[in-house]
This record gives sequence, structure tokens and C-alpha cells, in this order.
Amino acid sequence: MRGGYAGRVLHIDLTTGHHSEAPLAPHMAREYLGGGGVGARLYLDLIGEALAKGASPPDALSPENPVVIMTGPLTGVKMDAVARWTMSSRSPLTGFWGDTNVGGHFGAELKSAGYDGIVITGAAATPALLDIQDGAVEIRDATPYWGTDVYEVTDRLTEDLRSPEGKRGHVLAIGPAGEKLVRFAAVGTRKRHWAGRTGLGAVWGAKNLKAIHVRGSGTVPIAFPKRLQTLRKELKALYAEDMLIEALRAFGTIASIDLGALTGDVPYQNWRTGFWAGVDDLSSVAYQEQLLTGNATCYACGVRCKREVEVKEGPYAGVKGAGPEYETLCVFGSLCLNTDLPSIAKANDLCNRYGMDTMSCGATIAFALECFETGLLGLDHWHGPAPQWGDAAAIVELVELIGRREGVGDLLAEGSAAAAARLGGAAPALLSTVKGLEAPMHDARGAHGLALAYAVSPRGACHNASLQYPIEPGGMFVADVPELAVELEEQSSEGKAALNVATQDYGTFFAGCAVFCNLGARPLSAAQAVEMVSCVTGVDHTLDELMTVGRRVWYLKRGLSNLFGARAEHDRLPPRLMAALDDGPTAGGAPDMDLMLREFYELRDIDPEGLPRRKVLEGLGLDDLADLLHS
Amino acid sequence: MGSFTSSEQFETMLGGFFEHLTVVPSIAEKLLASKLIIRFKYTDPDVALVVDCSGDAVEIRRGDTETKATVEMFMTADVAHRFWFGKVNLMMALTRKQMVAKGPVPRILELLPAIKPAYQLYPTYLRENGYAQYVID
Repeated sequence: MRGGYAGRVLHIDLTTGHHSEAPLAPHMAREYLGGGGVGARLYLDLIGEALAKGASPPDALSPENPVVIMTGPLTGVKMDAVARWTMSSRSPLTGFWGDTNVGGHFGAELKSAGYDGIVITGAAATPALLDIQDGAVEIRDATPYWGTDVYEVTDRLTEDLRSPEGKRGHVLAIGPAGEKLVRFAAVGTRKRHWAGRTGLGAVWGAKNLKAIHVRGSGTVPIAFPKRLQTLRKELKALYAEDMLIEALRAFGTIASIDLGALTGDVPYQNWRTGFWAGVDDLSSVAYQEQLLTGNATCYACGVRCKREVEVKEGPYAGVKGAGPEYETLCVFGSLCLNTDLPSIAKANDLCNRYGMDTMSCGATIAFALECFETGLLGLDHWHGPAPQWGDAAAIVELVELIGRREGVGDLLAEGSAAAAARLGGAAPALLSTVKGLEAPMHDARGAHGLALAYAVSPRGACHNASLQYPIEPGGMFVADVPELAVELEEQSSEGKAALNVATQDYGTFFAGCAVFCNLGARPLSAAQAVEMVSCVTGVDHTLDELMTVGRRVWYLKRGLSNLFGARAEHDRLPPRLMAALDDGPTAGGAPDMDLMLREFYELRDIDPEGLPRRKVLEGLGLDDLADLLHS
Repeated sequence: MGSFTSSEQFETMLGGFFEHLTVVPSIAEKLLASKLIIRFKYTDPDVALVVDCSGDAVEIRRGDTETKATVEMFMTADVAHRFWFGKVNLMMALTRKQMVAKGPVPRILELLPAIKPAYQLYPTYLRENGYAQYVID
């Protein structure tokens, strides 16, 4: 391989304490490109043989469940919006395929240490951490760090493992929530970038893996540096005049709330109402005035969309550091009818320290508030009067209880779907989950194709499993892919199946495998994205070829969830997300799921049971997956 | 060709609506707080309107192409008309260049809270001022 890749994958067996290296095969890079594509392929390779012999798929919290960390060919290249990398495994929250896409500096550092990725198998008998320094690998005792929160372990390991010359590495770590197997535990780096969704922090906890420290001194080889320099100049001009990029710089992802409140994108009160005047108190300007202290960014990215905040007074004074993103603002704000921005910053800070996905945590708390309101949760679950909507102190306390698995927090730490199953009665009707994953803060009643995107995403309700979210509501326009540049009416279900297929194929290549940031890289045309990959790797890719990579990886992830038991009945939105609202910008409207699913299954050649047919899998070179699903 | 054939008619209709908004306290308050001077430049037909929020009261100036504006917004008259019905996705219009905004983005976003209540007022304004034929259901 000429450029982009380190060419090696590190394999760690925590049970034996052994490690080894394997080359990243050129055909693997060509067919799966990187990130979640290579991650899913390596995962299936690891469990496929046992499955073929009749074994059951590994439980998510068993030693047999591998975790695959992978960079993409662009990770570590000094360009805007390409710092990202992925983590993949079976999700302990959903039981289906779990993967997550992360920013920061860890991926770039891993590649500079000589590895494209890390495959972790087995489980350590006692707390362990992995230390990687320029190709030197050691599994160390993590007992002194066990029980510490993500911020503390990050600070301590960064200092404890710095080089004799003082060079600091990067730490990826779980907190107490991962150790206690909170089903939506996250893995964090630099205290502000998270492998958040699908609870892979609990997989780490089950493996007794506290942290990975990595320090490297290498650089990413660029196959065609002059061509890349030309592209860099072209993109600099493009970014200078792009409104979205300027909005991201000014307000980060928080800018979404101002527009989302106008279009019906923002959900309120556990998804049951379409209007809430309090949303104005959560505006990007209010956030700027009350919380913002500065910006932060990922490796080499000039967009600088990450927020730094500080709460200077009141009950949450002292919160300082990474600020809530849009999703976090909504789950602890609009979804709970909470207008208190400092409390949202506090809830975010607690999630970060315990190491929890803010999205699942906040959505589970909104579900709990409604359970308290309706009597499904009662006085035996709480120490005083039942928490009310907008009760900032109770929301913050619930985060702590979940992080510590205390009281009602122990139930909620299982995730809202499992909690609803345990509570019974009307509780399942209050859920916002698809395949057990709590939905993101984008209401599909405002953009019907999102409903299908959530329904058929391999990892459950997710706005980042494809590019449907930025494309259908209009935040991204890829003019040179005709299937993505169609005329759109958001509150209609017509044509949305075909659009989903295109946003999956392009999005899986673009954000899943390459791995472009689906925020900062939005201005790129498809031609520019392909050119960047080609300049870096030295392979003159075509858009068709990369769309095929995206399609192949989409089916692979779908197939993995199928192997874990996902069927057609799991491709459905819960009633709470489908019921037409009485008020707000989407009043009276709801997606036509039957139409979209029928069209989608036909376009994707998926049988009525929900399995991709053998022919389509074999056509993409996924013969082994076809055998596992159809034999 | 768009729905509006006369510059004078569109300027009177939309300029009147903007003037109507300046006397709605909740909207005027937000506009004045922004201190912005916004020029809307419409095509098909050509019209220019300035919303000046830099003083003690919001001032609407029809045909003003001279004042130095903080923000300039460019779009067709049809897009503008549908926008005030809440039928144009602002994000999509911007990324697809159906609307072009020039000026500081943060300041433009500050205006969004003022826009929301205006959506509800536009159809009523049209009906009450002889433009009922332009109401979009």
C-alpha cells in the first residue's frame, strides 16, 4: 500500500496476555477501505469460524466478544475533518451490532505509533491497560486506576506514561460506568471525544480493560502529496465561504437547535409534544452567553466545533471543560423540559466522568420522568416527591445514580428498553428505542426518511449510520451524486426508500470507512472526497467503486445484526415516535413506514424475514455471510 | 416565471408585512436587540428591502440599495414568499444556494427566534390586506 495506512493491525488477547501483529491486507483496504468497514470485516472473520461450526454468537459481555478499533486511510492526515476512527463490537445495550465513530487525536496517534487498528479479544483476570509506544506494546496492571473516573485516569496515565523526554501520548479510557457494566457506558479520549453509542464501554469493563495509552512519532504516508496540496487549496477557499462551517465554528453543533425548533426536528417531553416555548432558553445564543468559554478541536481540524464551557455560579458552579453537544443539550433539555443550561452542563460533565453515552442516558431519564408521572415508577424508587418534568436537580441526581448503579439508577443503567421490559404495564409505550437504542434528537416526523433510517440502521435508532440526517433536512448537499441531489419534501414518505439506499451507500463509504467527519466535511463534493482518498492512498478510486464499498459494508453490518437475531420486526419505530403530534411544525403528520419499508426491502433485496438474500450478498463478495445467514 | 410579476406589488406586499412585524413587541424586541441592518435582495421580480434594527425603532426602507448592511440575503421572490409560510427549509435553501446569505453567521442565527412567531402572522396579514390569493394552504 502506497499511502494512508500503517499496514499493520495489533491483536491483543487479554486472556493470555499475548499480543501479535498482522498485516492489513491490500485487498482488505480496497474492499472495506477502513474504519467501520474493516472493523466489521475483522469482527466477522474472528467469530465466523465458530458460527459456521454451529456455535451461538458471543454474548456482548463475554470474553469471546471481540472489540475492533480501526482508523481510516485519512486518519492522521493534516486536513480538516478527517481525524475520526471507529470502534466495533456486539452491543451490550441492544444485543445487535454495535459501532461508534469517534473524533479527537487518538486515531492519529495510533497510526503514528505504527498501527491502523487494534483487535482485542479475551478478558483479563484483573484490571489491565494497554500501553503502545511506537510499536512497543505492553499489557500493564491497571489496578491503581480502577475506580477512577475518565478525567482522572486520563490525567494520571498521561503523566505516568509520558516519555523520558516529556512527550505525552493519548489515553482512551472507561470510567466507573464501564466498570459497573452500565449498558450505555462510553469510552472517552481527551475528556471530550466519545465512543458513545451502543455501550461499548461495558464491553471494555467486562474485559477488565481500563484504558489504552498510545504514543507515536511516525507520520501518515501520503501517496500524492502535490495533488493533495492542490486539493487543500481548493478546499480552503470552499470552507472560507461556507455558512455551515462558519455556524459550526461559531456555535458548534448547538446551532442545530435554532433551526431544528423551526422545522420540527427537536423532540420535546419524551417525544410527545410538538411545541415547547422553553426551547428558546436553550438557543445557541443562550448557550454562548451562559456557558461558553472557548473552542476545541480534533487532530488537524480547523473547524473547531467542540465547545468548552464553565459554570461560574449557582448549584453547578465548578463545572469546567468539554461542553454539551446538540444531542446532549436536547436529551437533558428539551426531552426533559429542562431550561436550566448549567444543569445540562453538569449532567454532561457527570456522564463524561462516569463514562456514559449522554444520548442514551438522557433519553432514559426522560423515559423515567414519564414513568414517575404515570406511576410506573413510584415512591419506592425515589427518596421524596416524584421528579417532575424540568426538575433540573432530579435530572442531575438521576445521572449520578445511573453512573453508580444505585437505587433506581441500577434499573435505568440497563437502558430504557430493558427497564421498560422489567417495569411492564404501559412502560414499553413510552420508549423511543429501535433495536434497543434510544433515538437521537432529530424527530422523524419532520423528515420522514429519517424514520426509515432509524428503522433499518444496523445498530438501532441512529442518525449517523448513513448520511440521511444531513441530506434530507438539508444540511448537506452532494450535488454530484444524482441520487442524493433529488428534490425533497421532508414531510413526505415518497421516494425516501431510494434516498435512504443512496445515503447508506455514500454515507458508509464517506463517514463510516474513509472516515470523514459528517459535520466538518459536509462542504465536500463527492469528487473532492474521492480525490482526497485517492491522493492519500495512491489508488485512483472511482466514486462507483467507493459507493460499492459503502454498500458492501452496509450489508455486512446488517448481516451481523441479523446473526445476532435482528429480523424484520426489529425494523420498526416505536409508537411514541410514529404518533402524529397535535401541535408544532409537524402537527398531524407521520411517516408512512409500510410504504418506505416495502420499497426499501425491494431495493435492498431483503426477504420478508429481514435477511438480505444470498444473491445480493454473494454479488458483493460476502459469500461467508451468505452461508452463515442462509445455511 | 415566478408567482409575482410586479416589483411594486411584491415590494408593497412584503414591505408591508415587515412593517407589520415591527409593531409586534415580541418580534421588534428581538430585532432591536440584534442591532443588525439587513438587506433582502429579491429577484423575479427585483425588489430590495432594508430592515434597519440599529436605532431605537425598527425601520423598514423599501428600495434601499445604498445603506451599508451588516447582512445581505439573496433569493427569488417565490422562495421568500414560501419562506414566510414556513415552507422553505432554511438549511436546505442555503446549502442548495436557493438562498445566499452574506454577513456574520452568528449574527444571522440570532435572528431565528424572531422568525418563528412571524410564520403564524404572514397568512393572516395576507388575508387582511387584500392578498388572500397568495395564501398557501
